[in-house]
Amino acid sequence: MRIGHVNVRVSIIAIAVFVFFAILLAIAALYSQDVRSQLIWLVPGLFMLLVIPIALNYMSQSQYADLVPLYERQARPVRVRMINESMMGKIVRIEGVVEQVRFQFLNRPQYIVADRSGGISVKMFTNPTEDIQKDDIVEVLGSVIRRYMVTGDPVINCVSIRKKFRAEKKDEKS
Amino acid sequence: MSGTGERSAVFLAVMELAVPLLSFGGTATGVLVWDLGLLRDFQYAAGGCILGSVMLAYLAWIRPRKDIVALSTPVYAVVFFLAPTDFLPGLTLQLLFSAGLTVLLIRLKYRFGDPDTGVDEGSFLAEPLSTYVGRTGTSFTGLVPEAGHRAAVTFVRFAEGEYRVAADMARDAGSHGEYPAPLLRAFGILREHAELLDKNLPSPATYLTFLPVDSPLLARSLAPSAGRDTAVDTTLDNALLMVYSAAWEASVADRPHLLACQKFAKKLLVS
Repeated sequence: MRIGHVNVRVSIIAIAVFVFFAILLAIAALYSQDVRSQLIWLVPGLFMLLVIPIALNYMSQSQYADLVPLYERQARPVRVRMINESMMGKIVRIEGVVEQVRFQFLNRPQYIVADRSGGISVKMFTNPTEDIQKDDIVEVLGSVIRRYMVTGDPVINCVSIRKKFRAEKKDEKS
Repeated sequence: MSGTGERSAVFLAVMELAVPLLSFGGTATGVLVWDLGLLRDFQYAAGGCILGSVMLAYLAWIRPRKDIVALSTPVYAVVFFLAPTDFLPGLTLQLLFSAGLTVLLIRLKYRFGDPDTGVDEGSFLAEPLSTYVGRTGTSFTGLVPEAGHRAAVTFVRFAEGEYRVAADMARDAGSHGEYPAPLLRAFGILREHAELLDKNLPSPATYLTFLPVDSPLLARSLAPSAGRDTAVDTTLDNALLMVYSAAWEASVADRPHLLACQKFAKKLLVS
């Protein structure tokens, strides 16, 4: 769904929650006069289960979109292996292959991006503008943070992840 | 544990063994005491499970890569065993929980790496970096503190990703004749790589290398079968580590800055 210049995506979890409570409400309304009398509040409340995630996603997406030009200017290209604790808070740009994609269904994807020097976790706190899959060659803009805020190994808090090249799969070649 | 807070391998082995022993043993002891009629509530037999989960969480905490599942087991232990239970459900729950802790312990050992050495990395050089610095440092004892300071700043700037500054510092250091020849070569290699990294350029077809006579001072040797990319990376790692060692030996005042970067130096040494 597109709102203004922002492409808003609702996570499958939010949709599942909405569907679950919609069914629950429908059944309750079918059997209970009390529930039917409260539908004027319950139905808008039900839709809030969709509206709130959409609004939050819109806000985070627009905020990230505003940050991208700043990161484009300030990011310094680094090799993955050179990322270390001394770079905490630094804005970096890495290029590499997506080796793993996790938690995409939560709209909080986490990628393992590797270049020839090594691999690193790239965490994103909203969904990316492009659909990133395993084996894609990507450019990542983000800042170096600790995995658990105050402790843990360095990871990248991603602001932008863009496909540079989609690696062809073996079955497509054959 | 030693005076520096270093965790010994024996201590860690005991801790690891204690997880299944305490959790299963606590339940087994509970069954015996219950049979003797000395235990009023079987819930108390879960004490071993709670202790085992705390030890598992400790073992997860001391690893550089944290396992959030193992870390949260004490919370689950309290939630599961807070309420009084009958004998059979309590026994089943405790045995399942103990089995879960054992599986998590195995997972922790095989998927989350070795624990930290326990050395306070803000005050001491940890292994294997201290061995390397100890082995090579004597070659740089003649350096004056100012020369050591230049080496320290070059290394720290490189670690921070300030490649332009690091390249300039390395060029400046290379222009001083007070450094021994291997260290001058290390500065040259570092400068070349810092310039390439600053411009995001790939490594050129020909690049600066150490000479065979420098090999006693190098941290990592190159396997004959190693590819070109590995050779380039190893050369840079050796240059950085030699600069680190020289800085550590020659500039005592810069040691706090070098200690702050020692995780990076360790990464170069063991990668």
